[in-house]
Amino acid sequence: MRGDRVGARRIPTGLILGVVLVALAFTVRAVSPAFAGWGLPDRTQDTITLALSVIIESAPFVFLGILLSTVVQVWLPHGFLLRFLPRQPLLRRAAISLLGMFFPVCECGNVPLARGFMVGGFTVPESITFLLAAPILNPITIITTHQAFGFGDGILITRIVAGFIIANVIGWLFSRHPNPDSLLTPSFAASCARPEPAGHDHDHDHGPQRGRTPSRIHTSVDLFARETAVIMPALFIGSLVAALTQVFVPRSVLLALGSNPVWSVLAMMALAFIVAVCSNVDAFFVLSFGSTFMPGGIAAFLTFGAMIDVKMLALMRTTFSTRTLVQITALVALMSAAAGLLLNYVG
Amino acid sequence: MSARRTTVADSRRGTGWSAGLAEHWRGIGLSLVVVVATVWLGATGQLGLYIHPRYFGFTLVMAALGLVFVVASFFFSSSFLASAPAERTSPRRLALSVTGSGMLLLIAAVTVLAIPPATLTSATATQREVNSGGLDTTDAAEQAATLVGNGDYERLSVKEWVSLLAQSDDPALFADKSAKLTGFVLPDTDDPENVFYVARFVVTCCAVDAQPIGVPVYLPGWSNTYTTDAWVEVAGTFTPNPSGLAKAALAVEPATIESVEQPSDPYVY
Repeated sequence: MRGDRVGARRIPTGLILGVVLVALAFTVRAVSPAFAGWGLPDRTQDTITLALSVIIESAPFVFLGILLSTVVQVWLPHGFLLRFLPRQPLLRRAAISLLGMFFPVCECGNVPLARGFMVGGFTVPESITFLLAAPILNPITIITTHQAFGFGDGILITRIVAGFIIANVIGWLFSRHPNPDSLLTPSFAASCARPEPAGHDHDHDHGPQRGRTPSRIHTSVDLFARETAVIMPALFIGSLVAALTQVFVPRSVLLALGSNPVWSVLAMMALAFIVAVCSNVDAFFVLSFGSTFMPGGIAAFLTFGAMIDVKMLALMRTTFSTRTLVQITALVALMSAAAGLLLNYVG
Repeated sequence: MSARRTTVADSRRGTGWSAGLAEHWRGIGLSLVVVVATVWLGATGQLGLYIHPRYFGFTLVMAALGLVFVVASFFFSSSFLASAPAERTSPRRLALSVTGSGMLLLIAAVTVLAIPPATLTSATATQREVNSGGLDTTDAAEQAATLVGNGDYERLSVKEWVSLLAQSDDPALFADKSAKLTGFVLPDTDDPENVFYVARFVVTCCAVDAQPIGVPVYLPGWSNTYTTDAWVEVAGTFTPNPSGLAKAALAVEPATIESVEQPSDPYVY
C-alpha cells in the first residue's frame, strides 16, 4: 500500500497485506459459527439465506463475464471481434444478437462483457442489442428452457423469437439516436473515451510508471478491480431487494392473477422483475407456476425477466443513464407483453 | 495567493485520491468476502445450503480464480495508488462515497462472513404453496415406482412419496403401505391444529427457487410436542385424511415421531 518508491519493497508489502486479509477473512468465517446468540428471527435469517444464495450463484458468472471481457479488451488484438461482423448495420446487429451463443454467461455476466465490447469498439446500440439478446439466445438458456417445457405450448419458440426481435428492434431504435454517447452514464462514457488501457499502443506514458507500460497481467488485474467495484455492489443490493420481496410480498397476491389471459402476462412480468433469477435457470424456477399460469404468462416471464429485472437494472445502471434504462425497460415490457398476449389469445 | 492555490489543489488531490481509493477497494473487498465464503462453504461441505450441487465445480473453480485476482490486486495495488488522483471530487461526494463503500463492505462482511450459514425456514415455506411445483416428477416417480415394485416402501423419500401422491390419492393404493419420512415440521395452512407436513425444500438451481414439498401427517395437538421447523422422523401408515379442513386427501397416521438432527444436506434436488 505504501506507494512505489522502491520497486523491490512494494512487492512483498502489497502481497503480504493481501494474503493476511484473506487469511483473516477465513479465520473470521471459521470461528464465527462457534459464537451462539445470533438468534435471528426466521424472516431475517431467510432473507440473508436467499440473498446469499443469489450472490453465491451469480458471483462466479460475474467473474466469468469479467474474465471474458478482459480477454476481449486486453488479450485479443484490438477490434478482433469487429472483423468478423457484417458491416451493414441491420445484419451486424442481427449477428451481434447471436454472439451469446459463444459467450454463454448469464445476464449478470453479460454486463461486464458488454462494457468490454463497448470499450473495444461496439457502438452503444450494438451493445444494447447484445445485452438484451445474449441472455436468451445462448445454448444454456435454450437447453434449460427445453428441459423444462419441451416444445409444448410454444413457450420455447416464443422465447427465442421474441428475444431476437426485441433485441434487434430496440437496437435499431437506439441506432437512430443522434448522440448515442449520451445514453451512457458520464463516468462510463469517460472510461470508453479513455485511451486503450491494454498494452496495444506502447507509446503512452503512465506517469508513475516512468514510461513503463503496465504488463497485460497488470492491466487485467486493474480491470478486475475496476469492474468488480461497479458490479459487486449492484449484485449485493439487487440480491437483497430480490430476497426482501420474496420474504415479504405475499405470493398469493400474484398467484391469484394467473388464470386471466391479460393478468397472467402482467403478473408474471412483475414476478420476473422481482425475483431476478438468472436466465440460465429461470425456466426451472417458473416451472412451478406452469400449472397455475397460462403459457403466455410463462413466455412473458421468460422473455422479459431474462432482459430486465431488479438486479439487472442495478447492474445496467453502472453503464447506462437512468433515462436510457427507463426507455429500454418500457420497450422490452411492451414487446414481451405483446408476445405473451399473442401466445395466450392466438397460440 | 499562490500558496493558497496550492493548498486547494492539494486538498483536491487528496479527496480524489480517497474517493478513488474507496471505489478501488470496494470491488476487491466485496469479491474477497464472497470468494472466501464460497471456498469455506465448499471446504466444509455446506455449499449445498445455497446452490445446487451441479454448480459446485464451476463455482469453486471461479472462486479460486477470483481469489487469485483479489490477491493479485493487492500485489499491484501500489501503482494504482500512484495513478489514482485523476478526478476532482467534492468533499460531500467523497464523504458519501467513502461512507457508502465502507458501510456496504461492513454489512457484507458481517452477513456473509460472520453469520452462521443456515437452511431456509418455514417462514419461506409458508410464502410458497406446498407441493405446488419444483418436482421433476417423471424421474422421481420412476424411482418411486421401482421401490414400490420391490415392496420397499420405507426407503421412499419425502420427494418420492410426494410424486406418488401427486399421481394418485386413491386410498386403496396407499393402504398398508408404511412410510418413514425425514423432514422439518411445517404447519398445514388450512388446518394448522391437526395437520403438519414433514417437509423438505426442492432446489432446482439455488435456494431462491426452493419449493417446499411435504407429506401431510395427521396428529391433533401436534404443536404441544413438536415445534415448527424442528427436524423429525415420522413413521406411520397412510389413511384418508381425517381433517375436514386440510386439502390433502391422504395423511400419514404416525406410529412414531422422533426428533432428529438437521441432515447435512437439508434440501432435495
